[in-house]
Amino acid sequence: MFRRRRSASDFAEEIQAHLALEADELEACGVPEDEAQRRARVTFGSVAVARERFNLRGHAAWLDDLLQDVRFGVRMMLRKPAFSAVAVLTLAVGIGACVTAFSWIDGILLQPLSGVADATRLVTLESLTPNGAMVPNSYPDFRDFRDRLSTVDVAVAHPAAFSVGPDGHGERVWGEMVSGNYFAVLGVQPEVGRVFQPAEIPDAPGKSPIAVISDRYWRSHLGADPSIVGKTIRVNQHELTVAGVASAEFHGMIPAMAFDIWVPYMEQSDLNGVPLWMLRDRHDRNMLGIARLKQGVTFEQARQEVKALAERMAILNADVSEGMSATLLPLWKSPHGPQGLLLGPLRILMGVSVLVLLIVCANVANLLLARATMREPEFAARLALGATRFRLGRQVLTETLLLTLAGAALGLAATPWLTHALHFLLPPGNIRQMVLTDAHPRFALLAFTAGIGMLAALASGLVPALRVGRLNLTARLNAAGRSGHAGRGRTGSVLVASEVALALVTLVGAGLFLRGFRETLKIDPGFDPSHVMLNQFYLTANGYTLAQRKEFCRRLAERMMSSPGVTDAAYSDGIPLGFEPSWWEELEIEGYARHPNENMNIFRNVVSPGYLPLMHIPIVEGRNLTDADNETQKVGSMVVNQAFVRRFFPDRDAVGKKVHGWGSWFRIVGVARDSKYHYLGEPETPYFYVPFRQVYREDMNLAFYVRTQGDPANVLSTLRAQALGIDPNVTVFDAAPMSEFIGASLYPQKVAASLMSVLSALALLMAAVGLYSVIAYSVAQRTQEIGVRMALGAAPSHVLRMVVRQGMALASLGLAAGLALSFVLARLVASMSFTNSAMGSSANLMGSSSTDPLVYVAAVLFLYALAAVAALLPARRAAAIEPMKALRAE
Amino acid sequence: MPTRKEESERIALLQGTLDLLILNVLQLGPVHGQGIARAILRQSEETFFVDHGSLYLALQRLEDGRLISAKWGVSENNRKARFYTLTAKGREQLTAKTSQWNRLARAMALVLKPNAEEV
Repeated sequence: MFRRRRSASDFAEEIQAHLALEADELEACGVPEDEAQRRARVTFGSVAVARERFNLRGHAAWLDDLLQDVRFGVRMMLRKPAFSAVAVLTLAVGIGACVTAFSWIDGILLQPLSGVADATRLVTLESLTPNGAMVPNSYPDFRDFRDRLSTVDVAVAHPAAFSVGPDGHGERVWGEMVSGNYFAVLGVQPEVGRVFQPAEIPDAPGKSPIAVISDRYWRSHLGADPSIVGKTIRVNQHELTVAGVASAEFHGMIPAMAFDIWVPYMEQSDLNGVPLWMLRDRHDRNMLGIARLKQGVTFEQARQEVKALAERMAILNADVSEGMSATLLPLWKSPHGPQGLLLGPLRILMGVSVLVLLIVCANVANLLLARATMREPEFAARLALGATRFRLGRQVLTETLLLTLAGAALGLAATPWLTHALHFLLPPGNIRQMVLTDAHPRFALLAFTAGIGMLAALASGLVPALRVGRLNLTARLNAAGRSGHAGRGRTGSVLVASEVALALVTLVGAGLFLRGFRETLKIDPGFDPSHVMLNQFYLTANGYTLAQRKEFCRRLAERMMSSPGVTDAAYSDGIPLGFEPSWWEELEIEGYARHPNENMNIFRNVVSPGYLPLMHIPIVEGRNLTDADNETQKVGSMVVNQAFVRRFFPDRDAVGKKVHGWGSWFRIVGVARDSKYHYLGEPETPYFYVPFRQVYREDMNLAFYVRTQGDPANVLSTLRAQALGIDPNVTVFDAAPMSEFIGASLYPQKVAASLMSVLSALALLMAAVGLYSVIAYSVAQRTQEIGVRMALGAAPSHVLRMVVRQGMALASLGLAAGLALSFVLARLVASMSFTNSAMGSSANLMGSSSTDPLVYVAAVLFLYALAAVAALLPARRAAAIEPMKALRAE
Repeated sequence: MPTRKEESERIALLQGTLDLLILNVLQLGPVHGQGIARAILRQSEETFFVDHGSLYLALQRLEDGRLISAKWGVSENNRKARFYTLTAKGREQLTAKTSQWNRLARAMALVLKPNAEEV
């Protein structure tokens, strides 16, 4: 049963009625009116008190207490501004770090795609090679998936650079070549106009010269003009009609990346000069797949159906797909795009942020404990006056909550700036322009902040609150103001020891990452990136045919070679140690018996003859590729690396042997020294080089290298002039010094190492402050005892040693626990690797340093030194105590 | 004008007895707060001092406990007043508490009598 609570005004009315009745009665007995009213009031007593008591009865007291607690808490905070500032700031740092880490994870892993309908039902579709590696899908495979799957709707896209704008003034714009049902499957709404309808885009080439542009591009380049719909824009020197503008939230289907234009994949042949047979080639696996689970279908059901269909397709198309399969993955597990690189570092970042927050909480708990001890007389008095222990404990918690609230607000306010830092940590080059980092605060973020704040309040306030609850009233009152309380010391010590332990964990972590990073940097990449300028051209965007592209490269190399300051020029498809994955070819090797299910996909590069000399990669056997290795050769030429020889020709001569790939035969003409291809930390990788003129295809990239005598940046203007000299339309290319560019492969390690360093410095500072405050406090508590000792003849040096020893004992306890924890965590993290593709190549985040004893020893020694300093300051104060003063002080 | 005893002769009510006194007053029908205060004062021959704040708090407590119910009405001299009525539950409680109190009073009297003679 529920009854409306009686209002305070109703009660006030009743009291007024009482006073009136009382006055009436007095008047009836002959008392004058004024006097009657006065007497009635006097008899009643304090009306205010009666009303206050009415208000305080029952449950209303709960809310009232809370308000009182909050008021009291705010007053306490303002009265000790230094304490509050330290607590709030440390909490802000801890919470800010956690919230930032979460916002990155949220943006990249949890809610990877925006602007799509019901993102929770979207999954990634990946083809699987016989050895289980994940690869993108071919367009013909996609058509089978689209037409024959009943549990999911499948769409595909292929990221590409376009030249948009009038000829000669084209601007490079990143976009996706998409299947006709792309927008329908993703459920994207148009901002103006329409998005592609599946029916208007046939699987036939060149039938649908239309495009959808992003809201961002529409606003920045087209003045947000709605009449653009139906007009044409110039893309790769072709006219495309703008069908519409995608909604502002939509950025494409690769998590964390932003694209600006979408064009039907079937326009590949017109726009990029890709020959028609390649669109029909099941071997041409370059389409990233995304699938939407149909209503009522579970992920597992869909995965089973995809697997079954893919395996049937592998049998039907055995010539190209033997042993292949396919699978579905949650979006964030997709190996393509930046999240593959960021997953490992982000996970570690989150873990470390939580560690820092724990240290912060331990610190705040310690500060609160110290203050709670100082406030013991206050609490004891309140207990004696009838306050319940629960009430006192709640007040302490409310105060902590206020502190964390302020901290969380501050931390949240700092998050946008911290979030932006992710941008600076990204590797240079294309990826930086494409990655979305403008994370706006979302509900999830706010909820997370609130949750973290509550946890922090509980973690740091619970111990002090419980201690207040256990406060021994009689002991406290009997102590009659004498200081010294053993209990607090023990709790505080445990807290400080755990702080030291956590600080050791972060310090060891930072040490291991830094050392791993340092070690990786020391690895010889096997080629010489200094003095090399790297330029990426997007010639397909200029409407070049394959022959024209080859000719352009040849002429540009020729012109550059004769330019002053240039010692070498070369070009290739793939860039070593670049951000983008390198490609592979499935090989058949003469005289080599393939094991069943052996992975014969070998990484390769398509290079001009000058490539190996320019990179300073020596030929150890046979000869280098030459200009004679060209289209006229019946059997192509190939240079393999030493690891290739070791794997396939362990006791035979490799030079002269024949290898089959791309549907034709190649002869090995030389062996190049091993170098690094994807990551500096990668294990030895079989690799081979084939001549640009024999293998280069329409869908390949183009990297142009110039080796200079001086600063490679100086050659840029020459290069621009020479390129324009060949074709005035070639206005767009990306240039970066090679040594800078290959830093991308170090990116995940760099992020992990730099974040760990910053956070561990924070952790150290917090631990030092904690240690210092506990020891300083205990010295202050023991002033009298120390005075007695000194009066009885203890030397100051003895006191000094005693206090320092106490600090070191605490530190030792923490360090022992921390070491054990570090070993366990390091082993866990050591198994984490990162990858920029799913092609079986990855490197470990930590390098090989997870058991490096030097790091552990150095971390322990450093923390010991820190503990000694933190203990020494109060110890000196203790040693300087004048016995008489200390004894008189009580 | 009612006679008034000296302050010192009044006795502060024992904890818990106020509820019983209120229920007892309401036995005869609906009465408002001021009437209850008057009735207690009169019936105890001005011995019991009723703290009005406590009285209204006790009324509210009894109302919350469903021992009495309240309703706004008009007094005999045409004043608006809140009238309290005994509920069935309250009547039960009154019977139980009264017999309890009587036993207590008898016991107290038995214990205190010999001492009283000594004085």
